[in-house]
Parts: sequence; C-alpha cells; structure tokens
Amino acid sequence: MSKENTSIQTKRRSASQWAVAWRRFKRNKAGVIGLIVVLGVVFVGIFGDFLAPYPAYPDPGALKPFYAGDVRTPPNSHYILGTDVVGTDVLSDILHGTKYALYVGVVVTLITMAIAIVVGAVAGYFGGAVDNILMRFTEVFLVFPSLLFILIFVRVLTLGAGVGTSINFLGLTIPIGLTIVILVLAIFNWPGDARMIRGEFLRVRELDFIEAEKALGASNKRIIFRHILPNILSSIIVVASLTIAYAILLEAGVSFLGFGDVNTMTWGQILESNFADMRVVWWAELFPGIAILITVFAFNLLGDGLSDALNPRLRD
Amino acid sequence: MLKSKRGSTLTIKLSAVASSAMFRYIIRRLLYMIPVVLGISVIAFITMYAAGDPISLIRLGKPNIDETTLNAMKTYYGLDKPIPIQYIDWLGNVLRLNFGKSLYGGGSVNSLIGPEILPTIELQVISLLIAFGISIPIAVHSARKPYSKQDLTVTSFSLFGVSMPTFWLGLILIIVFSFNLGWLPSAGAQGAAGFLWWGNPALDVIAHFILPVTVLVYVSLAQNIRLIRANMLEVLRSDYILAARASGLSDRKVVYSYALRNAITPAVTFLALALGIMLAGAPMTEYVFSWPGLGRQYVASTLGLDFPVIMAITILITIMTLVANLVMDILYVYIDPRVRIR
Repeated sequence: MSKENTSIQTKRRSASQWAVAWRRFKRNKAGVIGLIVVLGVVFVGIFGDFLAPYPAYPDPGALKPFYAGDVRTPPNSHYILGTDVVGTDVLSDILHGTKYALYVGVVVTLITMAIAIVVGAVAGYFGGAVDNILMRFTEVFLVFPSLLFILIFVRVLTLGAGVGTSINFLGLTIPIGLTIVILVLAIFNWPGDARMIRGEFLRVRELDFIEAEKALGASNKRIIFRHILPNILSSIIVVASLTIAYAILLEAGVSFLGFGDVNTMTWGQILESNFADMRVVWWAELFPGIAILITVFAFNLLGDGLSDALNPRLRD
Repeated sequence: MLKSKRGSTLTIKLSAVASSAMFRYIIRRLLYMIPVVLGISVIAFITMYAAGDPISLIRLGKPNIDETTLNAMKTYYGLDKPIPIQYIDWLGNVLRLNFGKSLYGGGSVNSLIGPEILPTIELQVISLLIAFGISIPIAVHSARKPYSKQDLTVTSFSLFGVSMPTFWLGLILIIVFSFNLGWLPSAGAQGAAGFLWWGNPALDVIAHFILPVTVLVYVSLAQNIRLIRANMLEVLRSDYILAARASGLSDRKVVYSYALRNAITPAVTFLALALGIMLAGAPMTEYVFSWPGLGRQYVASTLGLDFPVIMAITILITIMTLVANLVMDILYVYIDPRVRIR
C-alpha cells in the first residue's frame, strides 16, 4: 500500500487514482457490460412511464387490455410479454416497476452506507466499547436468518393507517408502503457493511501517513474525514454497488411472499400476484424475474469490475 | 486426504483432547447460546406486541366480532395481562417446552409445528451437503487455471447464481419440469395416498426432494464456489506452495494435499453462514414448493399475525442456526491444526 501511495503522489495530481482506475475498469469487459446495462436500467427507470404502452395501475388506462377482454393473453405481437391475471400489460408493468427497483436499491444503499460509515468509523478509529458492541452485534446479525425479522417488522409496520397510499415529495410520488419496506431492509442490512468499513478504518489507521498526521497535530475529525475516508472510498463504492443488487433481490423476495406494498407494482409484486395462476400465466412469472435477474446481475458485474479496478491488490 | 500422515496424527491428538477440553468447550458454547436466544425472543416479542394485541389486529379486517367475544378471547389467550407478564408467562411455558396456543382455532402450537421441524431440517441438511460436495471440486479446478475459459465460465455462472432470486428459480423449474414436462411434482413433500410419483413410496419422496434441493443447492453453490475459488487462488500464490512445487511434487499432489486444506478452512466458517442463508431462504423455497416445513408455516403465520406461532418458529430457527454454528466451529478444530479450543 505504501508503495502504491508514493507512486500515486509522484504522478500529476489531476490524472491520479481515479483516472488510473477508469483505465483499468475499461479493460474489464464484464464490468463495462455491467455499467452499460445499469445505465440502460436507469434510463428505463426515468423514462419508463413514456416508453410503456399502457399507464401504471391506479390510472384506469392500465386496465384497457382487461376491458378489451385480453386477460391472461399469452405473448403476441400486441402484448409483447402477454397480459397478467388482472388484465394489465406485463411489459408495461415491468417498465413501470423499474423505477421502484432503483428506488429500493439506491435508498436502501444510501441509508445502509450512512449508518455503516458512521458506526464503522467510530468503531474502527476509536475502538473500545463501541467496537466491542459492534462486533458482537454483527456476529449475531451475520449468523441469524434476518429475513425472519424483516418479515415480522414489515408486517407489523404496514398495519398502520395510510399504508398503500403515497405522498408527494418535490413533485415525486413516493409510495409509503414500499418506503417502509426500504427502511426495514436498511435497518437489517447495515451491520455487515459497518463491519467491513470498520476493517478498512483499522487497516488505514495503522498506516504511516496517519501517524505523520497525528504527529503534525491534526484533529481526529480531520484525520477521519480528510485522510481515512478518501482512502477507503473505493471500497465503499464497491460495497455500495453490491448492496444495491442485494436490496433489489431482497425486496423482490419480501414482495413475493406477500409482505410488500400491494398498491405499488414492483417486480416482486407482479410475481406475487400471478403466482397462484402460474400454470396458465407462466409469462407473467418468467419476464419480471428476468428483469430482476438482468438488473441485479448488472449491478453485481459493475461491483466486481469496480472492485478489480479500484482495489487491484484485492484482485483474485 | 485425511489419511495423510499429518491428518492421522491430528485425529489421535484430538481424540485425547476431546474428552476434557472439547467437552468443556461445548458446554460453554451451549451456555453462551442462552442469552442469545433470550435476547432474540425479547426483541421478537416486543416488536410484535408493541404493534398491539394480536386479537385486535386480526379484528381490523373483521369488524363483526363483538366486544364480549373479543374480551373472552383476550382472556383465553392471556392477552389481558401487561406485556412483561405475558412475556414471563410465555417464557415459563417455553421452558416446559410448551409454545402456547395458536390464535387460529386455539390448537396447541406444538402439535401445529412439531411435524414441520423434520421436513425443514431434511431439506436444509441434504442441500447443504450436496452443495458443499459439488462446490469444492468445481472451485478447485477453476482456481487451478485462473482466467482460463473454464474458469470464466464458472465465475460468470456463479455470479449469475447470486444474481437470481431464489424463489424465481423455483418458479421456473416448476413451470418447466412439473407443468410442461410433467416429470416432477410441483408441491409438497410426498404424494397423496392414491398417487405416488414413480410408483413407489421411497421414489416418491425422492421425486419431491429434487426441485427444492436443486434450488437451494444452486443458490448456495454460487456463493461457495466464489469463496473457495478466491481462497484457493490466494493459497496457490503463497510461498509454501512454491516450495512444494520446487521440490518436484506433482501438480495434483500440491493442489489437493497442500493447498486444498488451507483453502477450505475459511470455507467451513462459510458453511455456517451458508446454512444461515439457506435457513433464511427457507421461507421462500418452502413457500414456492408448498413444502410442509417451518418456513412455509412462518410465512402463513406472519401474514396472519399468529404471534405465538411466529415466536415458536423464530426460537426454533435461532436454535438450529446456533447449533449448526457450534458444529462448524468444532469441525474447524479438526480441519485447521492451528486452531486450538480454549
């Protein structure tokens, strides 16, 4: 590490670490494919409402196929991916669902990372009691099947009034039920990441340049934010991209089991609502699953590519 | 591999230790489980009962129940007492191995979930053993020639595996193998009395295992392969492997006798994690395949807010996970001579 540091510092500052990492990333075909697909998914997430042949469910236009008598229609030239048991167009449902998948992935990751960085930094930098508690706590978390608690929490928290409706925030419609699911997923997801960040803090804390900073009289705050955090940013980015993938998978599972937000057609909800009739409407089970698979696979590829590019010494 | 000289002396050494130190270690670990199980039960209890008493919650959907009936039901289930007292009552009953009464019909939780324990354990253990047995050779071969075509196939295949929703793989297998081809059953753990798959009770059981086991194996296979491969690559680069190669040992001997032992040690810890992942996946897999186990019951009970059943299954799965971890830690001592029990 120290060797790498000096080599970076001898280079011009502008073309430093990130430019090198980008060059390395570009050589990784799988990572680049992941990035392209992720960008594609983000595009669909933003413009899905315009691309979809039919509007999203609360809009009466979503039920046009139903009124046309096209319920459970197999894929054909008009309904490319068929229609589901209710009589909505599966392709439209998937396109509308993309933004929810991204919402889940990104928000879960933001919350997870915010908690994990604070706890990991305190535990890793100061050690002591916080560190001990974190380690015991995460050990239990790593071992215990947290899905059980996620299901209890989601079920109990979505009991209250107002669930299933949505609120307007800065012109965006935020579904309340889905947001509760997101919060619960984040609560149960941060310990593993906090443990990783703690490890990184421990590693960097022992490096010579931190010692030098201390000798120069830098405050703890300055060392944490100006010196350690930028050094472990690459690891954080990698973990964040993998966490997005994981959160999307988990939300699909929670929704599929019937615990999700029934008024928000996430990909997991499409799978759930057609599950009982899947002998007939196999297309309504196959295609949303493929959408999940592609998205999660792309984020995983991106994460692996970033990991290779940003942390060459961790490379297999 | 265990027949190698090093292996046999290790076994002898350990069997001498086993009587005293190992025994004390196991006892201490079992005692350590008590606060963990208690803690988890308290958290689960508070989470649920803080939301309100279950009878009133269930009533939200059924406004026809009158007040008198409601109060009678609350008294019957002991829900009229303060929550701490309810917890102590519950704990007292659990210590006598009585998990209380289901809120649906009032039958005993024990008789409800008792028959569901074994199917879950069978499914988990069979899948875990198969997954581990398959993943070691695949990962080792993949690591021997890193970045070869074969290795790239394996790594992308396993990345694909971790990207796939467990339950969705189950759905697709059911659609293909049960609905379209009609080769395998789509649900349950055994056929009805009049209709046995493949015409024989034993074969019928096997037929029902195939699809759920495939799903669980595939999912944990991907994680196992990724981990063992990464370890193997690291070990194969270490100095002692270079020394072994320099002394003229065959590639086979170096890989299987020297490297593998060190590479699978961390994987054994991971085995415990994998079991945790599989047990966590139990609700999904069992739900998809209508497997008569704890996972499917858990989903139904949590949706129905049947608190006593939720508590019972949470406790059982926690204990299963902890015991599995203990077994892994003991295995660890046998595999890695550097690990000493304290």
